Amino acid sequence: MSVILELTDVSKAYDQFKVVDGFNFKVNQGELRCLLGPNGAGKTTTIDLITGRQKTTSGKIMFDGREITGLREDKIARRGVGRKFQVPAVFKELTVRNNLRVAFSNNTDPFANMIRFSRKEGRERLRQVVELAGLQDRLDVLGGNLSHGETQWLEIGMVLTQNPKLLLMDEPTAGMTEQETQKTSEIFNRLKGEHTLIVVEHDMAFVREIADVITLMHLGKTLAEGPMEIVENDPKVKEVYLGSEGITSAA
Amino acid sequence: MQRANLYHDKRAQWAAYVVFFAALAAIPLMMDDPFTMNQYARYGVFGILALSVSLLWGYGGILSLGQGIAFGMAAYGMGATMQMQYQDPVSDPMPSFMLTNELESLPVVWEPFWHAHYGILLAIGVPVLFFIIFGILMFQARLAGAFVAIMTLAMLGAWYSMAYDMQPYTAGFNGISPPNAFVAFGVEVDPYSNLIYWTSLGVLCFLTLSIKALLQTKFGTVIQAIRDDPERARFLGYNVAYYQTVLFALAGLIAAFAGVVWVMISQYVSPTELDIFFSISIVIWAAVGGRMSLFGAIFGAMFIKASESYMGDEFQATWFVILGVVFIVVVRFLPKGIAGLFEIAIGFIPYRVKGSSRSGVDTSSAGD
Repeated sequence: MSVILELTDVSKAYDQFKVVDGFNFKVNQGELRCLLGPNGAGKTTTIDLITGRQKTTSGKIMFDGREITGLREDKIARRGVGRKFQVPAVFKELTVRNNLRVAFSNNTDPFANMIRFSRKEGRERLRQVVELAGLQDRLDVLGGNLSHGETQWLEIGMVLTQNPKLLLMDEPTAGMTEQETQKTSEIFNRLKGEHTLIVVEHDMAFVREIADVITLMHLGKTLAEGPMEIVENDPKVKEVYLGSEGITSAA
Repeated sequence: MQRANLYHDKRAQWAAYVVFFAALAAIPLMMDDPFTMNQYARYGVFGILALSVSLLWGYGGILSLGQGIAFGMAAYGMGATMQMQYQDPVSDPMPSFMLTNELESLPVVWEPFWHAHYGILLAIGVPVLFFIIFGILMFQARLAGAFVAIMTLAMLGAWYSMAYDMQPYTAGFNGISPPNAFVAFGVEVDPYSNLIYWTSLGVLCFLTLSIKALLQTKFGTVIQAIRDDPERARFLGYNVAYYQTVLFALAGLIAAFAGVVWVMISQYVSPTELDIFFSISIVIWAAVGGRMSLFGAIFGAMFIKASESYMGDEFQATWFVILGVVFIVVVRFLPKGIAGLFEIAIGFIPYRVKGSSRSGVDTSSAGD
C-alpha cells in the first residue's frame, strides 16, 4: 500500500509553546485513520497544518508524492485534500443543490465560470452524493434551514463532491443524535477503501464502528498508534488518561 | 419560512425586467418635456450606481462605501473628453481654467482626451484598473466587512481631496463645465432631449441584463457562496481573493459607466461626484430597495431620488433625517428592503412549482 500523506517532524509553536511538537504521521491510500487525544493534544491544529489554514513552524508535509508545506488553502484543496470543519460550515443562503454545485469545483477560475452555466454540470456526481448523504428530498431547501444532522451531512456531501483523494473530518458526529451518528458511520464505512479518510473524533462508540487504525496524540506528539485493542491496552495511554479506566471514559 | 412563489421563478423575473424597461423606454413618447427627460436620465444613472452596490454588497457581501471613486474618476475622464471636444488644437488648445491657473501648456495627462474614443476608454479603464489594484491590496490581506467599508471610505476621501487640490488639472472646487454637449459619431447628445434619456436607460438596461445573466452562471453562485462563508469556499479550492477582486472591479466598471453617462447629462463635473455623503447614499438606496435584488436596488434608487426631488424642496434639510430614519427601519426590520415586502406580497398569487406535484416546496433561491 502506498503512502498518500506523510508528516515529518512537523511542529507548530505559539511563542515558546509547541502545540504540535515534532509530529510524525503516515497515512496509506484507502485507509480510514482516527486521530484521538485529550483536549489540547493538537488534533485540530494538525488538520489546520495539513490543509494550510495555519503555517508550520518547522517540518515537512508530503501529499501524494509532492510537498504541500506552506501552500495556500485553495491550492492544497485543488491538489485533492477535502476538509470538513468542526463547526459545520455550509452556505446558508444557498439551496442544498447550489451548495453542492459550488462544491463541484473542477474548474475554479472566475472567468471560466462566467461562461459556465452550472445546471448541466456534474449531474451524475450530484446524484451519487445526494443519495449517499440522504438529502434527496431537501435539494431546494436553503442551507441555513437544515437540521443540525442534515447540515453535517451536507458538508460531508460537499467535501465528497470535491472528489478529494484525502478527506479530513473534524468531529463529524459532534451534536448528532444516536440515529444520526449511526447513519454517519454507515456513510463512512461506504467511503472506506475508495477514499482515504482522517477522522478526528471523541465519540468512542463511533470510533470503534469505523476505525482501522487509530493514532493517539498527546501534547503535540504521537503517544500510541495501532488497532483499537492495542492502543487501549498500552500502559502509556492508561497513564495519560489517569489510571485504570482507559480512553473510553476519558474521551 | 418563505415558500417558493412567482417571485423566485426565473422566467417571471426576466419577464418583469422586460416589462419594466419597456415601460420606462416608452415614457418620452407620452410626454414632451426636455427638462423632465434630463431629470429622468439622472435617475437612470442613480439606478446604475445602485446596481453596482447590489451586485457587490447584496450578492458578493462586500460593503463598499467608495463606489463614488469609480464614478468620480470616470466623470472626470468624461468631463475632460467633452472639454477637449470643444477645444481647438491650433487656436485654443487649453481649457480656460488652466490659463487662469497659469499653466504654460496642456498637461500630458490631458493629451489623450483630444480623441473622444481614447477619452472614454480611459474614463472607463482607469477606474477599473484602480479597483483591481485596490481590490488586490484589500482582499489578499483578507479584509472583510467593516474594514473594507472603512478602507473604501478613506480612499474616497483621498480622491476627493486630490480633485479639490489639484486645481490646475481639475479646476478644483469650481469643476469642469464643458460648454458643448457630447458628440458621438457626429450626433450631438443633447442633455435636454429624449436621446439622453434613452442613452441613460439603454446603459442601465444593458448592464442590468448582463449582470442578471452573469448571476445565473457558476460565477454568480460562487460569489454568493463566498458571501455566506469565505472559509468554506477557500477549502473547496476557490481563490477567494481572486473572485472578490474580479467582483470589485466589475462593480467599479458599472459605477464608471454611470460616471460617463452622468457627465453627458449634467455637462459638469466637480469634487461633489466624489463626495462621501453621495457614496453612502448609494448604499442607502440599495438597502431600502433591496440589495439582494438588482431590480429592488434600482427601484430604490429611483424611488428615493424621485421622492427627494418632489418632497425634498418642502422638507429641505429635514429630508436627510427622514431618509436616515427610513434606512434604520429597513435595516432593522426589512433586511431585504422593499423587494422583500414584494416577495411576501407576491406569495398570495397561487403558484405551482414546475415539475413538482408538491405545493409546499421551500424557497429555491435567495431571491433576485
